[in-house]
Amino acid sequence: MLKRSLLGLTLACASLGTAAADKVITGAFDVGPGGAPQAFNPLTNSAGFTWLNKYFGTLVLYDVNFKKISGDLASSWTVADGGKKYTFVLRPGVKWHDGQPFTSRDVKFSIDLAMNPDSGSPFASKFANIKNVQTPNDRTVILTLSKPNAALLDGLTNFMILPQHELAKIPAKELRNSAWWRTNPVGTGPFMWSKYVPDQYVELKANPGYYRGRPKVDRLVNRYFKEPAAAVLALKSGDIHFTYLSLDDTKTVGNNATIIAGPSQVVNYIGFNGTDPRFKDPRIRQAVMYAIDRATIVKQLYGGGAELAGCVVTNAKYVPKGLNAYGYDPAKARQLLQAAKWNPNENVELLTYYGDQLSKDVLVTIQQMLAQVGMKVTPRFVDAPTFGQTTDKAKPTFDLVYAGSANGPDPDVMYANLHSDFTPPNGTNRMRVNIPAIDKAFEAGQAETSPARRATIYQDLCKASNAQLPWDTLWVAKRFGGASKNLVNFVWTPAPGGGRYDDHAEDWDIR
Amino acid sequence: MGIYALRRLLISIPLLLVITAIIFTLLQFTPGDPLDAYIPPDQVVTAEQRAIIRHELGLDQPKAVQYARWLQHAVQGDLGYRIKNGEPVAAEIARRLPPTLLLMGAGMGLGVVLGVLFGVMAAVRRYTALDNVLTVFAFLGISTPAFLAGLLGLYVFALKLKWFPAGGYQTPGDGGVLDILSHLALPALILSVTYVAVLMRYTRSSILEVIHQDYVRTASAKGVAYPRVVSKHVLRNALIPVVTVIGANVANLIGGAVFLESIFSWPGTGQLYLDAIDARDYPMIMGTTLVLAGTILLANLITDLMYGLIDPRIRYT
Repeated sequence: MLKRSLLGLTLACASLGTAAADKVITGAFDVGPGGAPQAFNPLTNSAGFTWLNKYFGTLVLYDVNFKKISGDLASSWTVADGGKKYTFVLRPGVKWHDGQPFTSRDVKFSIDLAMNPDSGSPFASKFANIKNVQTPNDRTVILTLSKPNAALLDGLTNFMILPQHELAKIPAKELRNSAWWRTNPVGTGPFMWSKYVPDQYVELKANPGYYRGRPKVDRLVNRYFKEPAAAVLALKSGDIHFTYLSLDDTKTVGNNATIIAGPSQVVNYIGFNGTDPRFKDPRIRQAVMYAIDRATIVKQLYGGGAELAGCVVTNAKYVPKGLNAYGYDPAKARQLLQAAKWNPNENVELLTYYGDQLSKDVLVTIQQMLAQVGMKVTPRFVDAPTFGQTTDKAKPTFDLVYAGSANGPDPDVMYANLHSDFTPPNGTNRMRVNIPAIDKAFEAGQAETSPARRATIYQDLCKASNAQLPWDTLWVAKRFGGASKNLVNFVWTPAPGGGRYDDHAEDWDIR
Repeated sequence: MGIYALRRLLISIPLLLVITAIIFTLLQFTPGDPLDAYIPPDQVVTAEQRAIIRHELGLDQPKAVQYARWLQHAVQGDLGYRIKNGEPVAAEIARRLPPTLLLMGAGMGLGVVLGVLFGVMAAVRRYTALDNVLTVFAFLGISTPAFLAGLLGLYVFALKLKWFPAGGYQTPGDGGVLDILSHLALPALILSVTYVAVLMRYTRSSILEVIHQDYVRTASAKGVAYPRVVSKHVLRNALIPVVTVIGANVANLIGGAVFLESIFSWPGTGQLYLDAIDARDYPMIMGTTLVLAGTILLANLITDLMYGLIDPRIRYT
């Protein structure tokens, strides 16, 4: 990089002494929707796991395709007592980065900490069914549940295990913003903490004692960019080896990098304010579905990089055949609106927190399509805090929203977005969906332990949401990353929140 | 002059107080609550957890109490703690201020030197090709917003010509003086563009006003060499309005730096400010406003004191 500068020659001479011979991979790992720049607390983070899992470990994790869960810190596990007892056997010989042995007490400590309301962790709700955690010996952890929770393993895939010997001395309340996370956190992952330069970058170094073997590169650097466009430029100029890309970026990156595409697992939808009597009639929600030419939007605006979503569940395993496709039919949409006595002079607002160009184009197109069938909508672009405040209010006054919901391999993650128990302030069911069939299906899916019967339950849920339209689900878009061609064995996929999936970071290398 | 400076400093205190009160009031009208920014939208947090966090951040207090508390601590030099990560606001600003001052200082230095130089050249060679070219560039410079100039500059000089690194403050793992200078050069040059353009225009017209005065003709008639006439007799008298412009543009410079810092991933106060606004991080926004407003007031004071140095006829009473 130095030789590029105006002072090229002088600098080259000056830097001879400092030129490092070690292998370094530099990336913008926290740019894009899965990132959480400078947020290092895995108990409260809901994103940024791509980076956190480089130095922390989880009991279990997904494969890169999110099909199968396998062990990380747990080498095996069994489920007994009708899904109410989970026994994990921990991998032998795992050590924390400071050399202390990793034991079952660390696991118990971490789960108890997450369930303590003072730690402010969203895992508290995921672990609500855990009655107690027992550690009969150093390598065994037994979780006893008050009622079965088939989604527990999925929840554990991004639950980082923390060191008791370091954190027990910090009160849970102070832990949330503790300096420990950003000074010298100790984990079990392939890399260990090296240096944090606030607002600029954070650097990890290889963990020589990693249980799968020492990583091939010596250092891993995560650089921060306020503007995603700046990260793309740095990738193109060769300053960094990886960053998240927008659809438009993929067209300009050209030969500079390999483009990695994957499903976002985020379903985009039009939501209706469930407390507003104007949207109670399901024919209105159906009319909106028929009025939007989704196939054309996907083809023209997304360049084919999105799949239509038939229901609120995106994992193909749980999407049954024979769903209503809601093909583009403006005449039918007009009829439905008339039948539901929609007032064509009524102007409703379509609120969104998306501010990127693609989403703006999409919303303007939707506005035109709805206008053609006699529904006047005005898109309104706000930032995430404004969106949150508007939709979280006790008596929300918004009309429609265009939003995305992180789905994922297990449909249970949608529980809190669609179950009536989770209406704000108790959760994130911001549209105030209250459909008994959907509530029951989520409860049944969580209690059912047989994978086959679970699949049927969620397929029925999908069918019900396709027919009753708690949300008008539109599509699941692809997301992209750009990786330098010098990277070897590099694994990345655009998972919600950044994972966790098995990326074998210890095998990453650079030419 | 000492009493004058002291009086000006004392006047700044109520001024800063009014500024913080206005900003605090405006913040209350901004949609979005710090808690909504603090808790990611897809995160399920129970009502109990929400109440704990709200109480700890002091957001459950009445607005007036929140402001009074903030002020009470601020006068003692304690700007509070960031909502986002609990770090002390003063420490974050102190960490972010040096890169901003470096960028602004370099941008301003380049701007003043080049702006005055080009202004003199354009005035002395009035209506020549040189003057016309410089004038066209000045208008381009004045009318190009900093963020656009930043993106164009990055594209041309970092990506295509590869003369400079594509943003950042240092190469991770290096961070030597030369490394930082190589990262500083491009954003500082771009930041100086508007400054150069504005100063050039002012210097040019100011010199043209002075250059036809009788005492200039007298100096030339006495046989003083032309370069000396320009530097000693013309420039010194022409600089007063220019100094005003230099001072008045510090606010613009800060505005430009806010955008450039984002585009160039420069870890300064400007980026911090935008971050704080995104996160509705009230203590951080208040702290940064206070420091930036203080900087602008200080710059204005320095400008006023400079008059006396340039023109001995000016006295402070």
